Amino acid sequence: MIRHPLAWCAWATAALAAAFIDRNPFLQALLLLIVINIFIPYRGGRQIRIWKIGVALAVVPIIFSVALSRFGTHVLFTLPGIPIIGGRWTLDAALFGASTGAALLLTVAVFAVVQTTVRSADLLAVLPRPFYRAGTTVALALAFAPKTVASLQSIREARQLRGQRAGWRSAPQLLLPLLLTTLERALQYGESLDARGFGSRRRSRYRSVPWAIPDVLVVVGSLAALAAIVLVPVQPYNPYLNLRPSAPAVNNILALVLLAIPAITVSLSRMDHAAHHA
Amino acid sequence: MPLITLDGVSYRYPEAERPALVDVSAAVEPGQVILLRGPSGSGKSTLLRCLNGLVPHSTGGEFGGRVIACGLDTRTHAPRELGARIGFVFQHPDAQFVLDDVEAELAFGMENLGLAGPLMRKRVEEVIDQVGINHLRRRRIDTLSGGERQRVAIAAALAVHPQALVLDEPTSQLDPQAAEDVLQVVMRLVAELGMTTVIAEHRVERIAPFVDRIWTLDAGVLKDQGPRTALTEGGARPPVVDLALRAGWTPIPLGLRDARVYAQRLPKPPPCPPPDFREPGWGPVLCRVENLDYRYGAVPAVRGLTLSLRGGQITALMGRNGSGKTTLLKLIAGLLRPQHGAVRADVRAAYVPQDADALLFSATVEDELRGQPPAVAAPFQRWLHRYPRDLSSGERQQLAIAVVAAQADVLLLDEPTRGLDPLVKKALSAFLRIRAAAGAAIVIATHDVEWAARTAERILLMAEGEIYADGPPGAVLSDSLVFATQISKLVGGGWLLPEQVPL
Repeated sequence: MIRHPLAWCAWATAALAAAFIDRNPFLQALLLLIVINIFIPYRGGRQIRIWKIGVALAVVPIIFSVALSRFGTHVLFTLPGIPIIGGRWTLDAALFGASTGAALLLTVAVFAVVQTTVRSADLLAVLPRPFYRAGTTVALALAFAPKTVASLQSIREARQLRGQRAGWRSAPQLLLPLLLTTLERALQYGESLDARGFGSRRRSRYRSVPWAIPDVLVVVGSLAALAAIVLVPVQPYNPYLNLRPSAPAVNNILALVLLAIPAITVSLSRMDHAAHHA
Repeated sequence: MPLITLDGVSYRYPEAERPALVDVSAAVEPGQVILLRGPSGSGKSTLLRCLNGLVPHSTGGEFGGRVIACGLDTRTHAPRELGARIGFVFQHPDAQFVLDDVEAELAFGMENLGLAGPLMRKRVEEVIDQVGINHLRRRRIDTLSGGERQRVAIAAALAVHPQALVLDEPTSQLDPQAAEDVLQVVMRLVAELGMTTVIAEHRVERIAPFVDRIWTLDAGVLKDQGPRTALTEGGARPPVVDLALRAGWTPIPLGLRDARVYAQRLPKPPPCPPPDFREPGWGPVLCRVENLDYRYGAVPAVRGLTLSLRGGQITALMGRNGSGKTTLLKLIAGLLRPQHGAVRADVRAAYVPQDADALLFSATVEDELRGQPPAVAAPFQRWLHRYPRDLSSGERQQLAIAVVAAQADVLLLDEPTRGLDPLVKKALSAFLRIRAAAGAAIVIATHDVEWAARTAERILLMAEGEIYADGPPGAVLSDSLVFATQISKLVGGGWLLPEQVPL
């Protein structure tokens, strides 16, 4: 298993570059498969609801792009003169939206992997001393996100109990209580940090994360992948110019293979285990 | 030489009209256990926060007098300097952790002190054993239950080797089993380490036998008394103390073990006459549950359950965590759809969840009550312009019931007494009686045996999704080991409450 937080940071950087720079749909599909294959062995039974957000982020750009863009030559159908959405709906626009959506979905997926694999304490432990305070603040902020989602859910449930609608229109009314709950929690965090002596001059580290061979492999592989993606420029996929994507560049395929190292190391260690047991 | 000295401490929150603390003087000697009690809103949290300087350093406001904690004056020393000497455990189990795994969290305070790695490792191992959380050490905080989190918080506070432990209602957000686990940890630290402890806690009967002093706060004024004097005077106190006062036992027993000696001298009480299980007085059946089944995935929560609820009847639904109580209430309220069987009700049923705070989010009480008939809003006339989250916990509870369930004929409450002080609980009982007298059927899922014995006319015990006992409190609660009141454990014979026992 890959443990070192810096290994995961390197991997995430390279994966995000792969998701955004080329935008080739074949590569995006391959990358999604790789990310899922990494996520599954590392999630350790935890369910991540963030997938739903990822799918929503993937669909919304398609709708927006196809409904609002009038460019493109492959006309699907033409709506009569309704303001804003009237006019030609094109396949080009739909594909452009899909390409953006896929990149956003991949972003969410990469962050889901990082969120399950990297412990904030490990990340803090590798930060250089001057960054420690800032790092703790970021760790707190990260811990806030899931809790904010949870409070949003409880506020929505509460509204349903009170017989109020839970539709889009009620969103502004949800915002105020959410803000209040979050502020109250922030104050409590502040008190807790204070009471536990945070911010004193002296400071030591409990945990040090050792570099193992697989960690080093991931860093080297990710850096190589990043170099392959960034240094060899390719024409990014643009459906408005050419509906049909070109075949993916060899250097980018190689980069994706390098990004699969975390999944490969898990499989190898499992085979190792199996061999031992046999 | 006292460990902590409060010397004429007065405090007023910024922009508050009245002071939160008025001329408080008291001392904590090393090794003492101090119980801080008082109605909600009386200043308990404020006083505890004075002990490590959070008041006034993080709150601002007007501070008078002085607090010397472990040799440091809190006026000149910030809370983070006191952090190494005073371990602080907060009320909310989820808002005091910084990192996301247990071990890192245990080390966090020590890292802030700059302790050496090997020493930290040793201390982490030690507190893990002291608090009994070895099975949790590799877990992530967000996968822990509330009770587990509070135990981790205690361990984290303990790891810096503080000279005193301060706990601000550590169990008020927990269900009773988790609360019991947490209090057991505290009691063990007291017994084994002689830990100096200041604790604010509503479950007085649990800790009264261990306490050296009782601090009673009322509107910011502190009384520092010996436990017997304090409990005799009033406030929250264990049922055995009520009985002892009625029977004239001296010195007053503080726990069951002391009380047994006296109880033997009581004339063997005749068995309690079957309590007024006044079936004919109850109204019509408002809701009938038939052969109800519900499962979450493969896990059954309610199994083949049949039940009818009558108007005018207050029913307490009891059972361990995960026995299906909440699921049953939600099914009756129509929030969950039964997978088998049916809930037949011609009237409106309303469900009030455990966390009443989540229901209130308007700017004023008046806004919360908008759209309610005048009769519902009437009891809240005095606080119409207040901010709902500034109300005391009991007031919030009542407001939540009003906005969710004021007009319902079937009223379903989930753990309504969690974290409430005795006075507020009494008020809640009275409020529910009025609703029942007006013809409502009320079901309360609760772990609070004493309150249920006082409030309910019918007790349902639930386990594994089934109801295994159903009857009046005197019958159901008296021959139970777990769901017995303190008096029933002491006297037996079906007597549940101190005021009932014949002397």
